[in-house]
Amino acid sequence: MTLFRTAFGAALLVACLDQAALATTQNVIFNGTITATCTLVIATNGTMTVSPDLQSLSSHNSGGSAGTVTLTTTGGVSLSVDPVTTTTVPAADTTATTWTPTYSSSGTHTIAETGSATSLTAPGADVVSVNLAGTKGGSNRFASGNYQATVTLRCE
Amino acid sequence: MKHARILAAALAVGLIPIAAAAQSMSPMRGEVNSFTDAFAIRVFPANPYDQKIKVEIHVYDQDFQPVDARISPAVFQLGAQASRPVLVVVPFGGAAERKVRICTESIPFPNQQTQIKAQICGKFFGHRKS
Repeated sequence: MTLFRTAFGAALLVACLDQAALATTQNVIFNGTITATCTLVIATNGTMTVSPDLQSLSSHNSGGSAGTVTLTTTGGVSLSVDPVTTTTVPAADTTATTWTPTYSSSGTHTIAETGSATSLTAPGADVVSVNLAGTKGGSNRFASGNYQATVTLRCE
Repeated sequence: MKHARILAAALAVGLIPIAAAAQSMSPMRGEVNSFTDAFAIRVFPANPYDQKIKVEIHVYDQDFQPVDARISPAVFQLGAQASRPVLVVVPFGGAAERKVRICTESIPFPNQQTQIKAQICGKFFGHRKS
């Protein structure tokens, strides 16, 4: 009987030890979904200067500078500029001005200067340069005073 | 019950920044089914700058013509690195479906010679179910 109890106890102990030694693993699944996103951060506004013949007021002229915008996107968006509709001109300027906004990009997406929409398919970050040029034709000239124009840069 | 409310509030507070942080507007795409004469979309404009900015929300159709939608709020100040929900209710106008753009617009640095207006537009598609 003693021998039986000893043998039974030992067998039970071995069985318990065996149970304790069984290790299990379980996977924990993480899911994440990112939809198309676009962030525009305006770093600097642009500056326009007038040409010697007073027929061009542009960020391309000597002393002028483009506005700079940092763009970050997942891709699957497009970048464009709108025609300029909001301008302020001096009272002395009574002649028509043609405003031409353009942009270019360096970084993940290299875009040569354009005024048309560009599809950004790849994810990444860019520095977008925004330029604006105002031109007058014929004998018309820019007048002295303050000019202001708003360029809309769109990411959609 | 009280614990459930506290947990729900904590979850809501925790989820809002995840949905909107570091984006100018999210989501930028969406499709909505509605059984009424209008469909509603909630967007989260965000301010990525370290300064307060004025934000305007506009709704346009596919040709960038303004849509008579109800926007709450349409114009507001947004603190640095902050975001907030905006509810947009777009009427179908008798149509069975409607595509609209919801745009977040801001001029973060006004009173400059050449201002840049940043415009982030999302495209949304509403289907009217009968």
